[in-house]
Amino acid sequence: MHLSKAQAVLRPRNTWEAMDLGILLARRHAGLLMGTWALVTLPLFALLSLLLWQHPTAVALIIWWLKPAFERLPLHILSRALFADTPGVVESLKAFPKLLKPQLLASLTWRRLSLTRSFNMPVQQLEGLAGSARQQRMLTLGKQYTSAPTWLTVIGLHIEMALWIGMLALLYLLIPAQLQTDWSWQKLLESTQHDWLWAEHLSNTLYVLALVIWEPIYVACGFTLYLNRRTELEAWDVELVFRNLARRLQRGAVVLLVLGCVLLPIAEPVWAQPIAAYPSEHNADELGPTDPRLLKQMLNSEQAQQSISQLLEQPPFNNHKVIQNWRFGEPSEAQPQKEPSFKLPTWLKRLLEGASFIVQILLWSGFILISAYLLWRYREWLRTFSQKLLPNRQRQRAPLQTLFGLEVSSDSLAKDWLAQAEKLWTSDPRGALSLLYRGLLNHLLDKHGLPLTDAHTEGEVLVMARHLAQPLQLYSTQLTVHWQNLAWGHRLPAHAQFIALCEQWQQLQSQENADD
Amino acid sequence: MNANLTSAPLAPGALLDTQVYLETPEGIDLPLRPAGLPVRFLAFAIDALIRSVILILTGIAWLYMGKLGAGLASISTFLLLWWYMVFFEVLNQGRSPGKQLLGLQVIHSDGTPVGWPASLTRNLLRFVDLLPFAYCLGILSMINSSRFQRLGDLAAGTLVVYQAQAPQRGALPEVPARPASVLLTLDEQRALLDFAERHQQLSSQRQEELATIIAPTLHIAPSQAVPGVHAIARSILGQV
Repeated sequence: MHLSKAQAVLRPRNTWEAMDLGILLARRHAGLLMGTWALVTLPLFALLSLLLWQHPTAVALIIWWLKPAFERLPLHILSRALFADTPGVVESLKAFPKLLKPQLLASLTWRRLSLTRSFNMPVQQLEGLAGSARQQRMLTLGKQYTSAPTWLTVIGLHIEMALWIGMLALLYLLIPAQLQTDWSWQKLLESTQHDWLWAEHLSNTLYVLALVIWEPIYVACGFTLYLNRRTELEAWDVELVFRNLARRLQRGAVVLLVLGCVLLPIAEPVWAQPIAAYPSEHNADELGPTDPRLLKQMLNSEQAQQSISQLLEQPPFNNHKVIQNWRFGEPSEAQPQKEPSFKLPTWLKRLLEGASFIVQILLWSGFILISAYLLWRYREWLRTFSQKLLPNRQRQRAPLQTLFGLEVSSDSLAKDWLAQAEKLWTSDPRGALSLLYRGLLNHLLDKHGLPLTDAHTEGEVLVMARHLAQPLQLYSTQLTVHWQNLAWGHRLPAHAQFIALCEQWQQLQSQENADD
Repeated sequence: MNANLTSAPLAPGALLDTQVYLETPEGIDLPLRPAGLPVRFLAFAIDALIRSVILILTGIAWLYMGKLGAGLASISTFLLLWWYMVFFEVLNQGRSPGKQLLGLQVIHSDGTPVGWPASLTRNLLRFVDLLPFAYCLGILSMINSSRFQRLGDLAAGTLVVYQAQAPQRGALPEVPARPASVLLTLDEQRALLDFAERHQQLSSQRQEELATIIAPTLHIAPSQAVPGVHAIARSILGQV
């Protein structure tokens, strides 16, 4: 067994993945596996059916019972195919009788019902172990590894059934509709028991055909489970790489030795060769930027490089233009050579350097001053915009001081402003009414928290007050109308009206206090 | 574990592997591990079990509700039969409960998460897969496809894969590190690391056997083969 010849990537997999590998393995050799299985089982089945024509159930049972014996053939083929030594059909069939001999009785009797059959078979057949040695080996391999093969058997049983019944169902579906009227399922089931032996033989045939499909896969899955277990326990993947490493370094050493003998008197650096000298095997990690890559894409790197260079030759990237003009005869080449001959005196150089430093300082301080001035000049503007950028919560509005030119903050109003207004009415009615209006606005702002700003008009204030209590709303409307008439139209309200307003306000206040 | 990272261009007739590599336009090989028939069979069985339990419970609940109950029962049956997989696949990272239990996941075959159209297609086409009986076509298709796709998967362009797991690195044996005397390729470094990390699973004779393969070429004394290789592994990981 040479691991380097293994046709599958060896690495420890989880058990399900190991089974998947088995399916892939069986798929690669599907023709051979299914063919040989069919060649072994079908003739035997035909013979049994003829001999036991009256007992179709017995035929199916015998075929089912003999499965471990048949399974030895696919296992043999798989074990050789894995290491690139796939036998032909004839060769495998010839090997079959020899495979049958060892421990056949055990396989067909007390081990027949073992659920881990697929996993145990390789131990017995490929390692050729028997008796206590086999027991020991099974213990080592099977430790914590019984559930996967058991699941495989359980699942396999169901898949066999599914395929078998599926084929039966397919046949049933193919029966023409006219006939179907007479053949209900029930009738079919009843009749098969007595009269329709051929129907039962047909179902047996389908079962054997289902086995042709599934059994090679079952054996392959068990085999890869076994392989996986050994890979885990014996680190086959590591061994493979180690062997390649040893071979590579030995080859490197030979190259080194030969080179050393030939070149020793001439050159020392040859000692650096061992690493560089071994033929570097193709390794994706060592690809240089120009090596062909992306070989599985629609466009690989070589084609891409070609079309890139072609594109770069064309107009938008590469414009060939001929420009002609007059120039002085090559002064640029002469100058740099001349420069060294003309040397600045040291003092002048220092002076220039000092001057440049001072100019730099001046420029920088000018820059700083101008930016500071600009920041100061536009501070308001900046503040407004920085406030806008801040989240809403932080932009706490300062209590409003004035509304359309009227002072409305609590500080600007005396506590007894109503009394003041009543007193003022005779001497300065305009001031008195404005006091009333300011009092209202202050009330709306402070008590009811209307979100008024400097930009609102009287009408807008009224609109905003719409959701407030009915009496307050009514009062605000009246007062606003009077105030607007006075402020803009210079029309004084009657004295009675003013008194009424004052009284209404008092009522409102007492009402609100009572509500609170 | 090491092959998760190495890229192996797969030509026809190349080594069999359950891992397929998706080459991205950037030239990166993404490893995917499509899940085969046995594990998917089991996942489906678990889902079927869950669904039938729910169906029975809701059936009992709606048994005594007359015509309304019958209506609700048929609605819930419809949802469970046709939408159970789709909802779980799209909303739960491609995993129905059965798949989640077994560490499976549905993805597009280009490696992207599965979406509504693909999930709907692959689940509606169960109708084809289950012909003529008990998913026969699906089973045959999965056996015959190199990436274990059933017909619904092929039509929708989806794959069922094992979910990627972060590799778990075992502890290295406690020996003083010593750098290798020769330059090692990435694969070889990984193999050395694997050897050291799996020192508890391997028998001591087997470790001896493996270490003596490379001991002479790495200038390690034959008597010190195993600890010598362990020391190099530690130096690869940058441990002291």
